[in-house]
Amino acid sequence: MSVIYFIFQQTMLFTIPLMIVALGGMFSERSGVVNIALEGIMIMGAFTGILFLNLTGGSMSGQLQLILAILIAMVTGGVFSLTHAYAAINMKADQTISGTALNMFAPAFAIFVARVIQGVQQVQFNNTFRIDSVPVLGKIPVLGPMLFQNAYITTYLGIIILLVSALVLYRTRFGLRLRACGEHPQAADAAGINVYRMQYAGVVISGALAGLGGLVFVVPTSTNFNADVAGYGFLAIAVLIFGQWKPWKILGASLFFGLMKAVAAAYSGIPFLASMGIPSYLYKMVPYIATMVVLMFTSKNSQAPRASGIPFDKGQR
Amino acid sequence: MKRRVLAVLMAAAMTASLTACGGGGSAETTQAAGGTETTAAAEQEKAAGETKTASEPSDGGYELALVTDLGTIDDKSFNQGAWEGLTKYAEENKISYKYYQPQEGTTDSYLETIGLAVEGGAKLIVCPGYLFEEPVFLAQDQFKDTHFILLDGEPHSGDYSEYRTNDNVMPILFQEDQAGFLAGYAAVKEGYTKLGFMGGMAVPAVIRFGYGFIEGAEAAAAELGVSGIEVMYNYTGAFAATPEAQSMAASWYQNGTEVIFGCGGAVGNSVMAAAQEKGAKVIGVDVDQSFESETVITSAMKLLSNSVYDGVKAFYDGSFPGGKTSVFTVENEGVGLPMDTSKFETFTQADYDAIYAKLVAGEFELVQPSADNIDPTADLTVSATTIKYVE
Repeated sequence: MSVIYFIFQQTMLFTIPLMIVALGGMFSERSGVVNIALEGIMIMGAFTGILFLNLTGGSMSGQLQLILAILIAMVTGGVFSLTHAYAAINMKADQTISGTALNMFAPAFAIFVARVIQGVQQVQFNNTFRIDSVPVLGKIPVLGPMLFQNAYITTYLGIIILLVSALVLYRTRFGLRLRACGEHPQAADAAGINVYRMQYAGVVISGALAGLGGLVFVVPTSTNFNADVAGYGFLAIAVLIFGQWKPWKILGASLFFGLMKAVAAAYSGIPFLASMGIPSYLYKMVPYIATMVVLMFTSKNSQAPRASGIPFDKGQR
Repeated sequence: MKRRVLAVLMAAAMTASLTACGGGGSAETTQAAGGTETTAAAEQEKAAGETKTASEPSDGGYELALVTDLGTIDDKSFNQGAWEGLTKYAEENKISYKYYQPQEGTTDSYLETIGLAVEGGAKLIVCPGYLFEEPVFLAQDQFKDTHFILLDGEPHSGDYSEYRTNDNVMPILFQEDQAGFLAGYAAVKEGYTKLGFMGGMAVPAVIRFGYGFIEGAEAAAAELGVSGIEVMYNYTGAFAATPEAQSMAASWYQNGTEVIFGCGGAVGNSVMAAAQEKGAKVIGVDVDQSFESETVITSAMKLLSNSVYDGVKAFYDGSFPGGKTSVFTVENEGVGLPMDTSKFETFTQADYDAIYAKLVAGEFELVQPSADNIDPTADLTVSATTIKYVE
């Protein structure tokens, strides 16, 4: 049984950041702006968050420090994404290009600032945030070891974000308007909605979530941050497409990706998987093959927001 | 439109994953594109703290130069070790020095940067990394009056048809297998029976580390008369910290592995993260990594700074050993474990000195990796140790 708990805990390390970032991408695309800058925003969020952990390492530790770092990462991500929003919404720039620009800028900026501040580009941090077992909840059979042992508060934060996202998108006026802007901004405009403001909101939410995702990604994975999130921002976009721009399907997609990634990485330490003799390449391939298959079958009636990627032009009808 | 965006996306994702796999990592490449010549501005020196970027230029420019490969001079590994050796000698003897960073990791770019260093007045140029084999091969003819120290490689032409080392070049190689051997030996002597090896890319240096590690464990097991030593063995394929590396290390620890030799740059950081989670131990690589995490019990070191220091010193003493390859081994204390910072309980300094002496005396014959093979089970014959090679 402990092996299953272990795989589940490892799966969470992959799933939660992917899900948070993919949900961020969802808000942006649902408002009609493609955001492929997720990777770069993750790096920025992780950088400022980790830098905060590094600078306050001696004077504070534990969950409060992590929560402050989370806030800083989210603010950074939000602010950084404003540049993308400005280019894409006000300047009507090609959104792929401005996103790519952010992706190229972020690692360079992180390295430069790190070196100016502390002389080396790797930002060290001390991981004091792992919770061995949540009081009371950790003792629940089955669920306890899966969700409440060897966990991070970011896991629960991710679940809260998922619930709130689903609620906001489908049960609030804001969500309805956001979706309208992504489907047919001219119609939304005619109905009196300020399309620019909605798109700004979508992009900034995506930036905040991507920044958070970057921090969540780095903390359990390493002991320092080296301006790199290993392409997980792009992977989150694959999750977003696989999840068909819908919160619950994104959860499913990120769980699937996470599980496959965890199994591919950890199978050698799990006796019954190691003895099956399936090469790790197979596990590594499955999520991508699945994405392509899903794309093949859904491209005809794709659920993608219709106006996604097209700059909003007021005069066009 | 949609389809085009998707196509661009997929392409971007692919390039991203490719660069993420490629050795140095995308971050470093981007950084290298920053500029050819690092400025020696005073503020930067102040901000840089420990790492000084250049000295005051003397009349003839900067006499000692280092051209970095894909890393930077504070990569906590290769470049930094070389840089420390160079600056140590330069500071002691009041010689001007400076480092240059190529724009990109190509032979042309390296050669161009070497040219820049020569123009800047360099008499001796240190080139760390096997990527410099070809640039130095070309530069040794182009700049006959300049001397070169080439770390981890021997100059050869681009198609490997010609190996030639002129008198103005001093190639330095390390016997990584001996460092790995010491680490494996110490781990088993310390009482660990379940070991792990996680390499980066399967380049010769990493493979030698891994082989030596297994042979060291085997030797200690034979000495102690125990059997049933287990070594999990894997090359992650990149020098990056990823959740994949963390997960693999965590799964090994979960399955009973007690100590993992993290042998591949940032891969080690992922192993340390997993070790912190599982309360297990790590062996570091290249330089003393004990300050990076509490979990690091020792490090299989290449004493880069010593070798560079010796080379620079020889140059100024007029006994530059150019024209032939210098191999740094246990014999000239080019590899070893940092016993001062190691956290051993039963493995003592005396034990270390004893095994070191035996290595020097050549009592162990270490198997070299055969060509085109990275699988230790194919090359090594072990009796007390079981190797579990994970592809």
